[in-house]
Amino acid sequence: MLPAKMISDANPQPIRIKFRKVGMLRYISHLDLQRTFAKVLVRSGIPAWYTQGFNPHAKMVFALPLSIGTQSECEYLDIRLREHMTCNEIKYRLNCVLTDELSVIDVYEPEQKFADIGYARYDIEIITDGASEELAEKVRKLFETRPLMMFKHTKSGEKEIDIAPLIKSMEVFYSAEKDSLNISAVLSAVAENYLSPEMLITAMKDSLGILSTDIMREHYTIFRTAVYLSDGETEFK
Amino acid sequence: MNENYRERLDNILRAVQKPGRYCGGEYGQVLKDKNAVKARFAFCFPDTYEIGMSNLGIRILYGVLNREDDIWCERAYAPWTDMEEMMIKYDVPLTAQESGDPLAEFDIIGFTLQYEMCYTNVLNMIKLAGLPLRSEDRTDDMPIIIGGGPCSYNAEPVADFFDCFSIGEGEDALVEFTKLYIKMKEEGTYSRSAFLHEAAKTVGGIYVPSLYDVTYNEDGTIKAYTPIYDDIPKRITKRIMKDMDKSYFPDKVVMPYIETVQDRIMLEVYRGCIRGCRFCQAGIIYRPVREKTPEVLCKQAKCLYENTGYDEISLSSLSISDYTQIEELTTKLLQWTDKKNVSLSLPSLRVDSFTKELMDKIATVRSSSLTFAPEAGTQRLRDVINKNVFEDDLMRAVNVAFDAGKTQVKLYFMNGLPTETNEDLEGIAKLATSVVDEYYHNPNHKKGKSPQVTISVACFVPKPFTAFQWEPQDTVDTLNEKLDYLGTCVTDRKVRYTHHEPHTSHIEAILARGDRRLGKALEIACEEGFHFDAWDEHFNYEKWISVIKKAGLDPAFYSNRRREYDEIFPWDIIDCGVSKEFLIREHKNALAGKTTPSCREKCSACGANKLGGERSCCPQK
Repeated sequence: MLPAKMISDANPQPIRIKFRKVGMLRYISHLDLQRTFAKVLVRSGIPAWYTQGFNPHAKMVFALPLSIGTQSECEYLDIRLREHMTCNEIKYRLNCVLTDELSVIDVYEPEQKFADIGYARYDIEIITDGASEELAEKVRKLFETRPLMMFKHTKSGEKEIDIAPLIKSMEVFYSAEKDSLNISAVLSAVAENYLSPEMLITAMKDSLGILSTDIMREHYTIFRTAVYLSDGETEFK
Repeated sequence: MNENYRERLDNILRAVQKPGRYCGGEYGQVLKDKNAVKARFAFCFPDTYEIGMSNLGIRILYGVLNREDDIWCERAYAPWTDMEEMMIKYDVPLTAQESGDPLAEFDIIGFTLQYEMCYTNVLNMIKLAGLPLRSEDRTDDMPIIIGGGPCSYNAEPVADFFDCFSIGEGEDALVEFTKLYIKMKEEGTYSRSAFLHEAAKTVGGIYVPSLYDVTYNEDGTIKAYTPIYDDIPKRITKRIMKDMDKSYFPDKVVMPYIETVQDRIMLEVYRGCIRGCRFCQAGIIYRPVREKTPEVLCKQAKCLYENTGYDEISLSSLSISDYTQIEELTTKLLQWTDKKNVSLSLPSLRVDSFTKELMDKIATVRSSSLTFAPEAGTQRLRDVINKNVFEDDLMRAVNVAFDAGKTQVKLYFMNGLPTETNEDLEGIAKLATSVVDEYYHNPNHKKGKSPQVTISVACFVPKPFTAFQWEPQDTVDTLNEKLDYLGTCVTDRKVRYTHHEPHTSHIEAILARGDRRLGKALEIACEEGFHFDAWDEHFNYEKWISVIKKAGLDPAFYSNRRREYDEIFPWDIIDCGVSKEFLIREHKNALAGKTTPSCREKCSACGANKLGGERSCCPQK
């Protein structure tokens, strides 16, 4: 951290907040999350740095927006301080005005830039008809297909891309106990090559016909569990 | 009921629009141990989450009830149609937001009745909770259902479905009511009928419809309301909080994640209204005026800001510029809000008190549009409705706006007001054109920009406890003819004309002055799947008229009939403080085109001062 005396409006201190968004709060959109944090910062009384424009607001930058329905143990928000406050104090104050399902895990000085993020890990649990070791094998085979062409929504419309190079690793197993398919995948999280875990679901639906019946019988959950640098191993800090 | 509903509810949320409406988990919600409390209260808002979360009354009563250690108050809202479909398909009952427990497990279910068109949602929510619709069909092990809010001043159309109503301000009444429930449960003296009788007898402002027999005359009007016990009040007097400075006001808010209608701090400045517009029910039933002091308001605002993080404070009251200390209040607030980038907004402005000083202080400055409500197009008709604003006031107000660079003005009017003629409708168009002319005459108007004046016209609905409660509503055909005629009068291309649907206003008028017999129609409506009738896309006029006829009733009897002064009204069972004599005087004055001064200028002896109240302008008894 900068020496307390040096931190000011003109020279703000960057701070990174790592938080979780789990449980029912997976249904809150990124936009709503942004609006929420603007109020959370006020409630916490943290000396957040405000933009100096016509309509001043606390400067906030989020890494990797999460899609609705996905839970996460590793969300990142960067803010700046206009006055000194210890990381422990910031964490404590934030958690006082948050809830268990949206709470701060860690607060620290950023070591890397958001642009250094290369990959994210997702744990996916699928409850589906015909879940079995054989189905797990079919899923493995599916994601070994080269190329694996999928349609992706982009700003310029639908585009067909090969998602195979965007999957760094994938483990698939069948849990007899839960009668579920479980996938742990490390996917590209680089801005222009971001691979949404939902895309894996779509690929399985299209090719294997899973998750095609009633939501009570068949459904899935996605959990983002780690964010890595470009080597796909070192945890982003 | 299947115990696994919770898992099914989770699954449903994967497939509905806006799951954020149902997921709960908001910061500021109150969680308690259900085994450690003695009464569980489910506060229901019979419309969407976004609207319900914006209601100030619920924010207050949620806090008041949860302040009691032995009571746990939770919230519930009407599920949107896609959610409802899923709940029915997968056998998931209506649950409370905090605990996720089914409403049927609660001790007391409270509904706030904010507008008549939500009645079908109330019934639908009772149905989705798995409870019998009619009070008489519910047993001792089922929740007590209590109603409140403005529509409870004539809740007769829904009287069969409620066990009781809390009339007036509920801060004290609901707590006393719930405490009585706890006491009788603990003593072992509880049964629905014993409890309701005791509540009617001992808790002020509690109206138990089943304890009053209604008889009718041959012409369908009411003959009498007869209490079935001697020890319950013949009329139910509304409750009020006497001193608003000392009255509970929440210091925190349940913070919605998704955007709601009023996603800001709502600071209640005062209750009641000094004006007495003759069409306005709120202006009568919330009397007497009781103000808070700026000191208390500032403290409450600061505290709410720190506990919510909202960046906007709305000064909430029926007519905010009538607050006697508006200058002091805004100045005091701005001392800290400016520094914190918090803006002030005012929901309602009267043209006669709209000044540059006030406009400079409020956030609406940012938007390019300002809204005023002249309500009628000619001075004659504005005198009839006692609006007490003049064309000059409007012109002065719009010039303040134009001076500040505004280009858009929105004007609210009503059509179908008593004594209305074509001249009054032409007056609406003329007034709008005058505002356009005023823009061009104003030397400071924004150069190179043309003005836009929007006139928005609502259809008049005669309401109980107003000077117009005896008046017939124009028929739908007449209202449509008038709206069309007004359309032909609007020739200026700078004037935009929009209006409400007369069909909805017609049904609203039937329910507003309805009696208990309409319960049958609502029951049929519920069976036929009516819901969200306040939403145009779900409202079906033909089906409404059909269910009223199926119940053997004549819609015109309720909406289009002129009533006599000696007719007994369904709402005469309620004493709102203002006397019928006053309303009759006001009605006669209206027809004579005579205005009545505001309460601050001169007391017109409406009667509400018998209820007491600090910092009101009423002569105290």
